[in-house]
Amino acid sequence: MNSPMIALQAQGIAKSYGGVVALKGVDFAVRPGSVHALLGENGAGKSTLVKIMTGAVRPDSGSLQMSGRAVSFRSTAEAVRGGVAIVAQELSLFPRLDILDNLFPMREPRIGPFIDRRKMRALALPILAELGVERAPETPVADLTLAERQLVEIAKALIVQPRVLLLDEPTSALEAGASARLLKILSILRDRQVGVVFVSHILQEVMELCDTVTILRDGGVIMAGADVAGLSMGDLVGAMMGEKARRQPRGPAPKLPGQGLQISDLTAPGLHGVSLTVARGEVVGLAGLAGSGPEAVLSAVAGLGPVSSGQVTLPSGAGRPADLRRAIAAGVAYVSGDRRKLGLMLEKPIWENIVQVRSIGMARDGAVLSTAALRQRAAALATRVGVKTQSVDAPAGSLSGGNQQKVVLAKWLDCDPSLLLLDDPTRGVDVGAREEINQLLRRVAAGGAVVLYLSTDLEELVAGCDRVLVFHRGKICAELAGEGLTAQNLSHRMNGG
Amino acid sequence: MTDVPQDLAAAQRTTLRKIVSADWTSAVLALVAVLAVVGVVHPNFLAAGQLVNVLQSSVYAALIAMGLVFLIPQNEIDLSVGGNYVLTGIVAALMMRAGMAPILAIGLALCLSMGIGLLNALTSQVIGIPSLIGTLAMSWMLRGLALALSSGTQVTGVPLDDPIISYLGGGRVLGLPVSVLLMLGLGVVLALVMHKTPLGYRIREIGSNPDAAAFSGIPIKATRTLGFVLAALMAGLSGIVALAFFTVGDPQSGGGIELFAVAGAVIGGTPLAGGKATVFGALVGSVLLTAVAIGLVYFQIPATWAQFATGAVILGAVSVDGLVQRQKRFRK
Repeated sequence: MNSPMIALQAQGIAKSYGGVVALKGVDFAVRPGSVHALLGENGAGKSTLVKIMTGAVRPDSGSLQMSGRAVSFRSTAEAVRGGVAIVAQELSLFPRLDILDNLFPMREPRIGPFIDRRKMRALALPILAELGVERAPETPVADLTLAERQLVEIAKALIVQPRVLLLDEPTSALEAGASARLLKILSILRDRQVGVVFVSHILQEVMELCDTVTILRDGGVIMAGADVAGLSMGDLVGAMMGEKARRQPRGPAPKLPGQGLQISDLTAPGLHGVSLTVARGEVVGLAGLAGSGPEAVLSAVAGLGPVSSGQVTLPSGAGRPADLRRAIAAGVAYVSGDRRKLGLMLEKPIWENIVQVRSIGMARDGAVLSTAALRQRAAALATRVGVKTQSVDAPAGSLSGGNQQKVVLAKWLDCDPSLLLLDDPTRGVDVGAREEINQLLRRVAAGGAVVLYLSTDLEELVAGCDRVLVFHRGKICAELAGEGLTAQNLSHRMNGG
Repeated sequence: MTDVPQDLAAAQRTTLRKIVSADWTSAVLALVAVLAVVGVVHPNFLAAGQLVNVLQSSVYAALIAMGLVFLIPQNEIDLSVGGNYVLTGIVAALMMRAGMAPILAIGLALCLSMGIGLLNALTSQVIGIPSLIGTLAMSWMLRGLALALSSGTQVTGVPLDDPIISYLGGGRVLGLPVSVLLMLGLGVVLALVMHKTPLGYRIREIGSNPDAAAFSGIPIKATRTLGFVLAALMAGLSGIVALAFFTVGDPQSGGGIELFAVAGAVIGGTPLAGGKATVFGALVGSVLLTAVAIGLVYFQIPATWAQFATGAVILGAVSVDGLVQRQKRFRK
């Protein structure tokens, strides 16, 4: 099996964390010039395998080979020197530095003790041009869009001329429509004979972009290097989830009586006279390209942004809230997909995160708090939303992405909201947890809440929503439901109006 | 074996683990170590009277440190607590010398100190000056004001026979000075506020992740303002307790007490990085630093070197704490 035709080969990789087996003897091989998808639910062992291949974690047993030669990485820096680079899921750029500075972290070309900016430019410009970054290299990263930052991340990885590049959730931070761009990037990588490992939750993309696929489940390989061309999406889902794959067919949502959410003629930065009505019991999706309006609707309803005119009536009967705190007081919950920044306090225990809004932010449980009672309540909520953890005393940061998002949901459900606003809640969340989150939202809606669901993942909107409002240039251009609600239709209307 | 003893053992284990992993553990261990080291060489250091003396001397910094613990976790700081301590004492002394009833003078002086806290909140929360700079400027203004009001000399004329002054300055209950009991009592109250009320949780969570705190409906500016006012009030109270004990208002006193208090809070387990707070730790940290300062006297370190030695001990203590914290993280 020691073929020089294989860029990176892992054999019999095993790893356990304190008795918990993450990987049990996994084989994995990437060929140069091909894109190899690595799939699996959260906890399947994907991230551990990625960390082992990039030197962040050492395996308990097993070996790594590059082009047939055995290698052993003791750190990520060593892996980079060995030719394995990674574009991480969480962006790791320095926002105040410019593009050029960000491309050479700790390995700037120098003249004596001084940094050689001219050489940096010469090295960087062709790569930036190839990737289609149209900004001047002196632009601070803070001024870039999320999509542009992602490209800078990829450029940063390419500068070291890697033979293997791992893309960990490359599109979860990009808006829909960016996969075309990614397709181009991947073809560049193929031309450069780079072996690409593509870790993603978005199966549609895997089908479109990858050549081969390996699927992990419970630390073992379920599908090894299969040809994507011969597979259907259903095959992938089935392999990843095993018995859990069958989705419950869903009937039309019961519209419940009572005041729902009413927005009439709302005008705000990025919104031009938007009107919509959502009944209690409904899960309504908001779709649109970045900046086309859906985020502005959520901001306006949550009291986060300025509004020039228009009426908002919340399910609780209150008008448009002046700020987020008043919105929360009026029954609004704002679940952000940006868990690390806006959703959680990662080093605080899970229970403290869960009780944060009701007992602490809004102080609804009086002036004296009992730690025991708070923990108990948090534990019950964690069970209700299905957080998989040994104890609610563990820090929230120790959970996987999907479980972190469930904690964010739990902290809002604790307040019994009448309006649930979701801002791309499944970003970086695996298929299984997505389905659980969708079912949870369904139950919350059935309990009498209004759910507004913004997502950049179109499959997710199709799977989770009763109907979807499509935005184009600040206005609602279409409403899709039933048979007409497909990812293709959504994409078509988002891009064309 | 039945379940009950197991549960009991488990409970004991978790209690033990809680104590071992508490934020203030290293400060307590360091205090015990200092007492042991000085005590072995000079056993009189461990005499009850001397230990009470250490406690009494640490009251001023400890009160300030316990107030700062409500501010530091929110990623804010108040360096004007030293100036506040001096000015509050001077103003109270001046009012008493002018014939005002001490209880009233103390009340007004404490209102002044809270007003200073509000001003600090205004510069940092409304105008947006980083509190490190804003309160540093405030510190000079307050010390300058104290000097100007007192014409640079000590303010005498505090009525020594007044029951409040004599009780607070020299009274004892159960053998302990009233000021020490005040420190301990306030420590208990403030610790309860820190760990059992929404305010306490808010304070610790703001420093942990300000954006997420805002998204959880925590009123950040209001909470920080409360922190500034509380820190200032504790500084003013410390000034009043000092006035009652020394019976003169001294505009030159309290040099460096703000940094002494900050060091006490940090050594006690309230990191400047924010997100964590322990009132008890601040108290222990201040007592520790005071014990070191007094212990140095026993080793006949010349007064000219005492300041250097105190600084070195602070650096050493914080370094050890940093290493311990890193070890803890590593183990996780």
